[in-house]
Amino acid sequence: MKNILISSVVTALLVLTGCSDKDPVVDESANITTKPTAETASSNTSVDTVVVDSVQEEMVENTDSVVSSNSGDISSLEKDFTSVYFDFDKFTLDGSNADKVSTGAKIANSAASAFTVKLEGNCDEWGSDEYNFALGLKRANAVKKALVAEGVDANRITMVSYGESNPTCSDKTQDCWAQNRRVDFKLLP
Amino acid sequence: MTLTMMYASDATIEVIKKVDSLPSIAVEDSSSAYDEIFKMKFFKSLVSDLTVISLFNVDRHYRTVSYDASEVVVQNKDMNYVLRYKLIKDDSGSLNISLKILADNSDVFSKNYKIKNPKMYMFVSHTIAYDVNKFMGKPSVEWMKRKVIFSRVVSPRHSELVIADYTLLYQHVVVKGGFNLFPKWANKKQTSFYYTSLDSARPTLKYVDIQTGKTNIIKSSDGMMICSDVNVAGTKILLTMAPNGQPDVYIYDVKTKNTKKITKYGGIDVGAQFMNDNTIAFVSDRLGHPNIFSKNLESGSVEQMVYYGKSNSACSSHGQYIVYKSRESSNAFNGNTFNLHLISTETDFIRRLTAVGVNEFPRFSDDGDAIIFIKNYKQQSSIGIIRLNHNKNYLFPLKYGKVQSMDW
Repeated sequence: MKNILISSVVTALLVLTGCSDKDPVVDESANITTKPTAETASSNTSVDTVVVDSVQEEMVENTDSVVSSNSGDISSLEKDFTSVYFDFDKFTLDGSNADKVSTGAKIANSAASAFTVKLEGNCDEWGSDEYNFALGLKRANAVKKALVAEGVDANRITMVSYGESNPTCSDKTQDCWAQNRRVDFKLLP
Repeated sequence: MTLTMMYASDATIEVIKKVDSLPSIAVEDSSSAYDEIFKMKFFKSLVSDLTVISLFNVDRHYRTVSYDASEVVVQNKDMNYVLRYKLIKDDSGSLNISLKILADNSDVFSKNYKIKNPKMYMFVSHTIAYDVNKFMGKPSVEWMKRKVIFSRVVSPRHSELVIADYTLLYQHVVVKGGFNLFPKWANKKQTSFYYTSLDSARPTLKYVDIQTGKTNIIKSSDGMMICSDVNVAGTKILLTMAPNGQPDVYIYDVKTKNTKKITKYGGIDVGAQFMNDNTIAFVSDRLGHPNIFSKNLESGSVEQMVYYGKSNSACSSHGQYIVYKSRESSNAFNGNTFNLHLISTETDFIRRLTAVGVNEFPRFSDDGDAIIFIKNYKQQSSIGIIRLNHNKNYLFPLKYGKVQSMDW
């Protein structure tokens, strides 16, 4: 029996990386659920023909109407707010950021008093799982609490987290990551 | 601390498959239909799948021979197995494949396959590999035939939902335009799915029936609205919602449309997974940092599952095993490493599954044979497959965009 060494993987689609140590015996009580439609291939053989189910999908267009925040008043007012930034893995407001929230509260209660304030929490790029989204939300919530403490009605404030999916930059630099750990202020009619 | 038994009662087996102890297999193409490009695509897909089933040393040379030749190609005479196939185009345009496996120049296996749309050739290749695996008497690799659904961020606040095969060779965008994340299959047949839409004023969970193309709104919530897991029967889903900025786990009954709050802790509780119909695993920072806990839905009792690491922020469970994502560096200024680890809930067993990069979103296959995950490393986003019983990881890179989340 000829020993054949596995050569390095050459296909563009496949990369092999090694792993180590012990393997668990995993639960192998799988039920095989394929239900091929068998037909005899020809009269000379008794081999079943397996019809592989086609994957049938339809394009589902996203037809949501996006809540437009681009009316003249809203977009110019949004520019008056300043985004709040956070340290790595943190959701607490420090001195300079607290000042930004104060300014934001004043605008929210005066020129923007007719609108709902939408706080968008964001994270840097380290992870897209639910926990990271929750971290973004905690940042938004810290800003909300500060706004409420400054007299903005809590019922006028709504929050969302975008995790790491709404970056303002994509460089792999400390500066860019710091810019993405933020809460943005938006207004809704 | 638990007493460690002398015997490996949790039956971990040290599987060291040395390269030279695997049987060899070569692939011979007897096709006369189809052009060279298509024949090569099919050949490469088949060689890739035969490699992933991890039972053979797969020879990568492309050899051609007549389907009825009584002997294998001379270069393959020392192979333990030769898989010979023929691609046939019929009048309706369907792709037909005749296939046989030869050992010592005699037929030991044969089967025919057919698919209407030749562009979906990779699904036939996966089915062939599944059958070869079964022929070799090995545990099921049903997951090879399943579809993966993932969200791909293409630009800030713009993502698309894609249905693919496990290698990403086949990709079909099912929801495009807008900002849609966290897709999740709604049933075992993979005929419908849930996803989170962030386009409207509040995060909204939607349900799509692939066969009819209809979309229904399930629920909206301020803050967060994610379907984390679906039970085996497809009758209950675990949600993460965050009204008033308070992220918690909820359970939703698909039939009655009732929602019940599961967690009460005032910090972060997210990412719940069914361990069985009465128990969930979830991520919580109730002890000061994100970690994995379980909760019995009847008694309400909560138990810590992982005692290692300082930041364990995602998990998936199968039987007694939990795979979780652990942050292994804490660096604001340089690249961070997140690795996947596997533990048993019944013994002290623990094993690290990945080595470098950001490895996250682990998901067990239904049969527990494999784990699929997302890997981002050196600006390349890939989907990874871990074959738990074979000590092997495989990566399938994405050509553009970044995978945000996925399910299979």
